[in-house]
Amino acid sequence: MNFYLPIAEMSANVFVFLGMGGAVGFLSGMFGVGGGFLMTPLLIFSGIPPAVAVGTESAQIVASSVSGAIAQWRRNNIDLMMGTVLLGGGIIGSVFGVQVVKELRKAGQFDFVVAVAYVTFLGVIGTLMLIESLNTIRKVRSGTASPLRDAQHHNWIHRLPLKMRFKRSKLYISAIPPFLIGAFVGVLAAIMGVGGGFVMVPAMIYLLRVPTNVVVGTSLFQIVFVTAATTILHATQNKTVDVVLALILMIGGVIGAQFGAVAGQRLKGEQLRFLLAALVLLVCLRIAWSLVAAPDEFYSIALAIGGRG
Amino acid sequence: MRPVLSSLFILTSAAVVLALGPIAGDAQQNPTRKSRAAPAPLPLATAPLPGTPAPATAPEARPTTELRETVQADVSTRSVSITSSFTGTEIVIFGAVDNSRQSSAESGLYDVVIVLEGTPTRLVSRRKSNVAGIWLNTQSLTFESVPSYYAIASTRPLDELADPLLLRENDIGFEQVRMAPISGWETGLTTADLADFKTAVIRLKQKDGLYKEEQYGVVFIGRSLFRASIELPANVPVGPLVARVYLLREGQLLSTYTARVKLEREGLERVLHNFAFDHPLFYGVFTVAVAVGAGLLASTMFRRASH
Repeated sequence: MNFYLPIAEMSANVFVFLGMGGAVGFLSGMFGVGGGFLMTPLLIFSGIPPAVAVGTESAQIVASSVSGAIAQWRRNNIDLMMGTVLLGGGIIGSVFGVQVVKELRKAGQFDFVVAVAYVTFLGVIGTLMLIESLNTIRKVRSGTASPLRDAQHHNWIHRLPLKMRFKRSKLYISAIPPFLIGAFVGVLAAIMGVGGGFVMVPAMIYLLRVPTNVVVGTSLFQIVFVTAATTILHATQNKTVDVVLALILMIGGVIGAQFGAVAGQRLKGEQLRFLLAALVLLVCLRIAWSLVAAPDEFYSIALAIGGRG
Repeated sequence: MRPVLSSLFILTSAAVVLALGPIAGDAQQNPTRKSRAAPAPLPLATAPLPGTPAPATAPEARPTTELRETVQADVSTRSVSITSSFTGTEIVIFGAVDNSRQSSAESGLYDVVIVLEGTPTRLVSRRKSNVAGIWLNTQSLTFESVPSYYAIASTRPLDELADPLLLRENDIGFEQVRMAPISGWETGLTTADLADFKTAVIRLKQKDGLYKEEQYGVVFIGRSLFRASIELPANVPVGPLVARVYLLREGQLLSTYTARVKLEREGLERVLHNFAFDHPLFYGVFTVAVAVGAGLLASTMFRRASH
């Protein structure tokens, strides 16, 4: 069954994109990640214009994060103060990021920057996760207990001004680092079509030392609002949000996620992280290949946007 | 049986042409071709008004008493709607040669060329080159007006039926597609580069199925009636199309005719597209509301299911 997508301006097979949403939803349910970093490249590989892929994927992330955020809210796992600071940064980052997307599209460099951003982030995150999961697997086998969160020690973050009390996280730290983390994640959300949890969660754990039980909820809280803002900004600034495509992906995604969550319960945490790391590195290599391999066609055409193109 | 049927077809089709002619009256007289530096010497002025017979007096150039051949044509679908289920369509262009002198469809006295052309759009073409091992766009050229769609159907290959000068004067053929380059940010382009960019645009458009040539796409089905069917792919850019019909004999242009096809979004497709472009803020908010709704619905549904 084909459906003509109003913004992507192409006829798409509904079942292909339902299946794609389902597969990514399954993986994100299994690994407990948003899935934007898998979905956006998949959409681009399947012929959706990169800018439309990014804009549309932000809408899908809203759908996939909102139920998670509410569940975390019910369990009181959200540090609202921390979430608000992250969100403030995130909105500013998103406004900036969407503007960057607009300029890059005009200059014809958006596809390239998206590819480079993906290779960089997936490469770094994938490698770190791979090392970490392998270490844990080895330690579990040799019988040593995995180390718990380090005791709080004073680092440079504690010397920054504008200190705030984050009650739920039991932290008294400067608002500047969480604000900057939020802003960085907002830029990534706008340019890469991701939620940014893969950056925010490690940053909160290792840099801010937020207790792990509130990290996921607080990060989801920020993601829901930042991706919602990003969706609206892309719709107004770039006109690259395809509501029909987004809806197809959402339906596939939420169904896939339910099955993925069940499958994920059967695997151990470190095994899951190892598999996820392998997947992330595969996507990274695939995109890297598209940058270094000599293309079949050196030319491309596109409708000129604004100004003199 | 067969001749009866075919002559019936000719009669009804001709009647359709005559009956429909006046409705498309604004479209006839080849109005888009005026800006050419070298005007076509041939009979723009003698193209007949719709529904009226060809002039009874022969033009001075022909001392014979025979009536001058002219062509009339129309399209099967004047208006194509792009709806949510649009997966491409086929347009049939049919026409008739008035005062045809050929004895049968097979005699091959006349050649017909049909050009179906989309609206000119501003298009940017980019070229990748290798910078430190990575392929990225380094040069670009913006063209002011490139037809979004361009299909040619003819009774024979173009180079057989007319000389290049005539084709050029009438903008027939991919090589004649007009694309005025306007200099972009990049200035170091040579004439050779320019030519490369032009051929790349045509190549890429052909790859997308938006530029195509059917060398035997026009078929005579009687001594005066001909038809051609042209495929509009699913990715055809939305906008009006112009069909130009040329009648030739022995490499000489006898008559031309122009018909139009509207290509418009309809239904849900139109509503969503207009919503997104006319009220982008509300459209964005609406999309977010859909997303939040879908997320909430899914979570309540699956929670109930798991209890």
